[in-house]
Amino acid sequence: MNETLDLFATWLRGTSISEAIRVTPWLWPLCEILHFFGLSLLIGVAGFFDLRLLGFMTRVPMSAAWTLMPWAKAGFALAALTGVTFFVGAPEQYINNPAFYVKVFFLIVANLNAIYFEVIYRKQIERKELEVDGPSAIKVIALVSIVSWFFVIYWGRMLPFIGNAF
Amino acid sequence: MMNLLAALENSGFGTWLRESPSVWAYPAVLTLHTMGLGVLVGGNAVLDLRLLGWGRAIPLAPLEKLFPVMWIGFWVNAISGIALFVGDATTKGTTWVFMTKLVIIAVGVLLLLALRRTVYGRGKAVAVETPTSRVLAAASLALWFLAIVTGRYMAYV
Repeated sequence: MNETLDLFATWLRGTSISEAIRVTPWLWPLCEILHFFGLSLLIGVAGFFDLRLLGFMTRVPMSAAWTLMPWAKAGFALAALTGVTFFVGAPEQYINNPAFYVKVFFLIVANLNAIYFEVIYRKQIERKELEVDGPSAIKVIALVSIVSWFFVIYWGRMLPFIGNAF
Repeated sequence: MMNLLAALENSGFGTWLRESPSVWAYPAVLTLHTMGLGVLVGGNAVLDLRLLGWGRAIPLAPLEKLFPVMWIGFWVNAISGIALFVGDATTKGTTWVFMTKLVIIAVGVLLLLALRRTVYGRGKAVAVETPTSRVLAAASLALWFLAIVTGRYMAYV
């Protein structure tokens, strides 16, 4: 397993796109800046919606709070795109890094949780059927969301310290 | 000045933060700094986006509750930021990047206070957008973005 992963990392590092990412001046720090800004948009907008689900700011109709969600998705897209850039540019930093796999685990949890919410509750929210409050399941979803996104940040921040990525 | 910076950096706390192999030293403080950033900039972005015309169906009055959330993010970062500064005082204390970052944050906080006064100054019930609040919201979003730019740039000085 590890050998296959190493072969994959070596192959990826040898591609021209990987090299381009490494040699383009200021591309890496630029991606870091966008990664952090995307993270902020995601945590801010999704966190706002989660707080609303949990019962804060009840005078904000649920359907109204939901209309900001495209910004959380844009933040996620920005962070994901720049994150993939890091991975392609320096795969050897991540491929044997336990922090990376824990981060990916929480990313999967957070995304499945968000997708589950959309599938089950989006229509009801858009039809304004849950304007003030919803079933207690949505509070669980909100908590899972907040906790898993903060763990994504935590394990992302641990990448250089546990597995020596920069 | 240099003596003071060196004394800070070589203090017990500064040395521990920088050199301890524990993840509870530098890594934990840096993580708090990242989470505080997300909460402060993210909470700010919600209010700014609303004032710039997105999510118009959201009434402004209850959004005043975002301010305590933003202040939590701010103070987590002020405290973790001071700790990170102490651990690396002779470098951070002598670079224009760090000074620029501090000025940006100071202006960002002043803008946030001005924003609150403009939108909520006449009582929650009459919380309104004005041309001024739109300008302040755009400036505020730009300033916090620049705070991230200078913060990330600190890793390269």
